[in-house]
Amino acid sequence: MKKLLALGMALLMSTTAIGTATAQAINENPLSDPRVRQAIAYAIDMDTIIETIFEGKAVRAVGLLPDGPNKPDDLNRYDFDPDKARALLAEAGWNADQELDVVYYYADQQTADLMAAMQAYLADVGMKMNYRILEGDVGAQISVPPADPVNGPSTFKWDILYGARAALALQEYFNRFGYGLMPTIPNVPEMNELVKKVNGSTDPAVQREGYFAMEHIINDKAYIIPLYYQQLFSYDSDRLDRHGAPYGNEQYNYNWGVENWTVTPDADGKSVLYTNAGPAQFFEVPWQNLGIWVHNKFAFDTILEADGALTPIGGEMAETYSVSEDGLTFTFTLKDGLTWHDGEPITAADVVFSIGAALKFPITNPVLAATLKKIEGAEDFVAGTADAVSGITTEGNTVTLKFASIDPNVLLSFSQFAPLPAKYFEGVDPLNLQQAPFWQKPIGSGPFKIEEVVMNDYTTLVPFEGYHKGTAKIEQIIARPSGDNDGNLLVNATAGKADFGYTKVASDVPALEALDFMNVHAVDIPYTRMIWINQFPKPAN
Amino acid sequence: MLTYIIRRILILIPMAFAICFLVYLGLELTPGDAVSYMINPDALGSMNPEQLEALRQSLGLGQPFHVRFWVWFTNLLQGNFGYSTTGGVPISSIIATRLPATLELAGVALVISTVLGSLLGVFSALKRGTVTDSALTVIGMLGVSIPEFFFGLVAILVFGLNLGWLPVGGRSMPGDITFLDRLPHLVMPSLVLSIMLTAGVMRYARSSMLDALSRDFIKTARSKGLPEWRVNALHGFRVALTPVVVLIGFRLPVLIGGSVIIEQVFQWPGIGNEFISAVRSQDYPVVMSIALLTVMAVLLASLIVDVLTALIDPRVRLGA
Repeated sequence: MKKLLALGMALLMSTTAIGTATAQAINENPLSDPRVRQAIAYAIDMDTIIETIFEGKAVRAVGLLPDGPNKPDDLNRYDFDPDKARALLAEAGWNADQELDVVYYYADQQTADLMAAMQAYLADVGMKMNYRILEGDVGAQISVPPADPVNGPSTFKWDILYGARAALALQEYFNRFGYGLMPTIPNVPEMNELVKKVNGSTDPAVQREGYFAMEHIINDKAYIIPLYYQQLFSYDSDRLDRHGAPYGNEQYNYNWGVENWTVTPDADGKSVLYTNAGPAQFFEVPWQNLGIWVHNKFAFDTILEADGALTPIGGEMAETYSVSEDGLTFTFTLKDGLTWHDGEPITAADVVFSIGAALKFPITNPVLAATLKKIEGAEDFVAGTADAVSGITTEGNTVTLKFASIDPNVLLSFSQFAPLPAKYFEGVDPLNLQQAPFWQKPIGSGPFKIEEVVMNDYTTLVPFEGYHKGTAKIEQIIARPSGDNDGNLLVNATAGKADFGYTKVASDVPALEALDFMNVHAVDIPYTRMIWINQFPKPAN
Repeated sequence: MLTYIIRRILILIPMAFAICFLVYLGLELTPGDAVSYMINPDALGSMNPEQLEALRQSLGLGQPFHVRFWVWFTNLLQGNFGYSTTGGVPISSIIATRLPATLELAGVALVISTVLGSLLGVFSALKRGTVTDSALTVIGMLGVSIPEFFFGLVAILVFGLNLGWLPVGGRSMPGDITFLDRLPHLVMPSLVLSIMLTAGVMRYARSSMLDALSRDFIKTARSKGLPEWRVNALHGFRVALTPVVVLIGFRLPVLIGGSVIIEQVFQWPGIGNEFISAVRSQDYPVVMSIALLTVMAVLLASLIVDVLTALIDPRVRLGA
């Protein structure tokens, strides 16, 4: 009995010892101590920040992933608890004289206010911090992993980065935990395997299991501290009737039923829709930011179609499509009679050209690029050792893609992929695709074709007669040039020159809502604002 | 005078070169480049660094600073402004489409401010010490001291949004073909842009006229029995005009630069708006070309001012 008791005590002590050993710094950087990171999470009152700085136009984040079936519901919320934060810091032996260098890359006032609030909250628990905005080549300052992914040192001197992860596919939240890719956290071996798991299966149940496990690990150790989920606000005036079309993630392509929209005719009896998102200098290649530019969504169709939550639901340009049982072959057949806006037929050759160009275009969306790179022969094609991608074959209007390994996002990627007319890019180096004259007035395939471009003043679009889903009912779209973060949005909206658009700028929303003819719809999107904590030892100089 | 003009033009070349070099150097010292602008920082975590480097190389951004500057400059000497790094558009085309918009805005503002400022200034001087003079002086001070963007926002609020008389922004709408079609778009920005200029010209013209009216030749003219309007208009105003012309001459290039803010406020598709976008995106060729244009405008304006001054005031002699 005594032996049993002794064994039990020994086991208990060893368990405690393990617990203590894990809850301590793993290198000379005190931020590598989970207790310090947890203290930061407890110290910040995000509920108050959301209600005040963001005027209630954001959602408190618990976990990296947006709310939904792939997120566990038992994560620690790290509710505001300054006493607990102080206790954790005391336990960790935090040096109150250490000053945290916090960096960010957003130039808006709300971010500056958030930084000031964080500074005050951390000061309250005994942590000093200063903050500064990063200028210039932000990528080089935030995303370069150390040469040694276990011991570092870090390639940066800052302590905390405030930023966001905007994801098309949920894997994007975690892929940086793959070995050697994480700039801020010494390698976490169990995460390496989980990243492979969610990227190597098309089975939603397997993926969900991986997401649950990763969320728990990150949440438990506070490797990254999620702050809030940013919402997207879609606005439309009383003049616009979407005829029941859903409000989705406007940053991507989804079935928004724009061809069925109608607007109240003006005094001349013409149905004109005004929007605030015309091009200022050029039309952007629609593979970079996918659906972020409304004018591109009017003008280009994609191979497949997704719903507002970006779940693939069917074909758009594709009449039929299928994925083989082993998940390694994707086949689709283009609808008969599809044409570009110049009347020329859309062919499988255009699709093949577009896949090749998107492979070589250096700033293709990462999810789309990852899918395309898994096609057999893609690497040789990109390297220039092959003239074509061997895994792509065509027969009539049918295109078959053979993948070298499973990609979980094939359907998602092709619901976002808009082919381009090959004939306009003869002799154009895909590296410099954006610099082609085509982008001054592109020829598309979507429900509206570009009628007139007075760059930086306005762009007009008119219905594409014979569009395969039916000719659009709005007679003309007039798009003034600005993005979703433009001060002129409110001016144009108030003047009745913005019937439709979206913004992610929470401070614009109350003013839009105050317009009695404007309707604003909050849309939850996978866009998590968070802080990354640099847990590597700092570089010598 | 011809020799003087030729000599001044020859001096412009090294000056323009030096200024362009300094602007290029300034851009070089700014952190980041066009590629870092093209990519949303939120997406950086998922981008492939090798492909980004390939893009840098293909856009010529991998060359050393002095090589890039020399390539740009020698191309310029051959009449080739180059291409926008971010959009690939020929810069000559950008200038050809944007500059007329700016010249239209600036030109109208200059005419308004010159005519109105000179007349009000002279009128104020002739009414010196009266309530009218004081009121005009106060208005002039307000015009000079309140920033243009504030006037712009107030004008948009009142005339664009509340009264709905004028469009809130842009240079034209689909179907606007002639200048008259576009005129409603021009009214607010040109008037707002001319406010500060008018106030400046008015104050200058007032003090210049007062100075002229105190000169001996004015007394002589009066003693000859000339009517007062003739003394003021032909003798006083002509002399008072000289420094005003100098001021207006130097305002020509300032108008191009000064319209940057107004173009932003009124969504005017001019060269100033383009310049701001190009600086933000570190589009070197576009920034350099617009900077060169502005430099040349400043230097040529100073030459024109010298020549005009000599023509207006016979006492001024160019040469030596």
